[in-house]
Amino acid sequence: MTKGLITTTVGSFPKPPYLQKARNQFSAGKLSREELDELERQATREVIALQEEIGIDILVDGEMARGDMVVFFAEQLEGMEAGGLVRSYGNRYYHKPVVKGRVRWTAPMTVDMWRYAQSLTDKPVKGVLTGPYTMVEWSFVEGYDDFRSAVLEMARAVNYEALELERAGAPFIQIDEPALSTRLEDIDLAIEAMGIATEGLNAQTATHICYGDFVSAYPRFLDMPVKQFDLEMANSSHDLVELLKTKGFPEDKEIAWGVVDVHSHEIETVDQVVAEIKRGLEVLPPERLYIDPDCGLKTRTWDESADKLRVIAQAVAQVKSELGIE
Amino acid sequence: MFATVVGSYPKVPNRPRPARLRNAINKLDRGAITQAELDTVADEVTIEALEEQAAAGLDLVTDGQIRWEDEQTYFARELAGISINGLIRWFDTNMYYRQPVVEGAVSWQKPVTVRDYSFAAEHSAKPVKPVLTGPYTLARLSVDKHYHDNESLALALAEALNQEAKALEEAGATLIQFNEPAILKQKDDFASFAAICRRLVDGLTAETSLYLYFGDAEGIYPQLLELPFDLIGLDFVMGAANEALLRSAPFTKKLGLGIIDARNTRLESPEQIAERIRSLSDGVDPENVHVSPSAGLEFLPREVAQEKLRLLAEGVRKAEGVLV
Repeated sequence: MTKGLITTTVGSFPKPPYLQKARNQFSAGKLSREELDELERQATREVIALQEEIGIDILVDGEMARGDMVVFFAEQLEGMEAGGLVRSYGNRYYHKPVVKGRVRWTAPMTVDMWRYAQSLTDKPVKGVLTGPYTMVEWSFVEGYDDFRSAVLEMARAVNYEALELERAGAPFIQIDEPALSTRLEDIDLAIEAMGIATEGLNAQTATHICYGDFVSAYPRFLDMPVKQFDLEMANSSHDLVELLKTKGFPEDKEIAWGVVDVHSHEIETVDQVVAEIKRGLEVLPPERLYIDPDCGLKTRTWDESADKLRVIAQAVAQVKSELGIE
Repeated sequence: MFATVVGSYPKVPNRPRPARLRNAINKLDRGAITQAELDTVADEVTIEALEEQAAAGLDLVTDGQIRWEDEQTYFARELAGISINGLIRWFDTNMYYRQPVVEGAVSWQKPVTVRDYSFAAEHSAKPVKPVLTGPYTLARLSVDKHYHDNESLALALAEALNQEAKALEEAGATLIQFNEPAILKQKDDFASFAAICRRLVDGLTAETSLYLYFGDAEGIYPQLLELPFDLIGLDFVMGAANEALLRSAPFTKKLGLGIIDARNTRLESPEQIAERIRSLSDGVDPENVHVSPSAGLEFLPREVAQEKLRLLAEGVRKAEGVLV
């Protein structure tokens, strides 16, 4: 029997309504840091329990302490701060971070929460960080004359955090670069930065990126120094199968195949997901094919997230038993 | 010389000032206020935007596009033949817009921005220019399920925008601006773009301007100067190559200098701005130079935008020799 079709998720889970409310109260000064911490931990317990109940293999802490994936780090790194309100769309605003001066890592930012999440389960919990390119691209840059220097120094800060996660025991570390989709001509810089961010790591590394980038910059993208590409597929797996069939895929790399669309309320059927998994198996052996949703779950409701993950678990179980995979 | 803007102005200030428009829209969504109450708040915020631009020292202002959800939706959804779909990223920014879907023949039905223009003109201490997203950019950023041809769609949109511009003229607008960032991403379309522009300004008597940003005009300059606009605005922040282009052929129209970075909070000094103006506007009559940020200001926090405009105006006065 071969092993494989390991299930995981990209990183974020929806925040339960009580935590959303608490975050608002905290920013309005009506709730203490300690009270918010306790609610973040409560939500983390629920996220871990949900993943265990569904039977996911590699868990995440769900990022209950993080609002925006860049702002969370910006508030803690030296040289960065959360800036003023900028509209992202419609009536949604966020505090767009500012790189004010030289970026320095000063203390672990994600390790306590990772450790807490890992203490709740015997399954491995993945550490998830925002990549250096995305950190800078999605911020204002005042402290550097050129973008490249800012990204490379940011990469060093991300590396310190990744090493701390590893030291705490994280077996998997994922460093996400969704911002690359806006400027794929920066691929060389992003690869160089990822090299710094992953330097000295023994943990298994992954990056979550948009599927379109992976395809447009193929095979250059394979030089990204990580073991696993976690792809936001957006229902395009047909093209990916063709690409990998014609151009090949290195035997030392893995793909996490996004099999459900997190940007849709609709819950996929088990049959649809089984078909997706089988498409992945056309080009990858099961031990190098991970199965997950195609992006972070934070924009879905708790119930939609649970339903999508259950469909994934059922579909994986069905394919495994059909093909005799352990 | 004119200190001016390219279009949008940030809608909400930061604490401790209240985010009135944001709160009002939330209340409308919850059914706690009426549309008329929201419109009143939008009017008041428009007045704030006009006052802040004037206080910064601008000579020519906009209504800040305070009511615009994004650069496409506000106008497009009022046209026959178009519905509004899901969110999609706006160029390479971290902002999103709702994508127009063209499902039938596009036509103009009624004025969309005229009331906004009239309101702004009435409440502004400075002259107001209406700013519209141009037909080519609207077409490029839409899903076309009807024409199946970008030029046909853009021509239909040009016709609709032409009617809107005529309505703005009737309301008293003497300068009308069109923003067309998308052409810089598809320069091969320039011949088609020129035909679309001719349709766009056909029969207009007001002055017109065309603003191109998020890139440079390499490959379409100096042909650009043959387009039927009185003023052409270029982005010298994301379009660094524009500087050399200006030196390659004389700039024969009024010149829009987008020289302060609308997408970064780092502040430019009035001395730097004045120096940039002097070096770039060489050969253009100063009264034909409009100095502005590189693009609309909604990428910036409100306070930073206002400070940037204050420094911009100061730089313009220095370049004119009014300030030392």
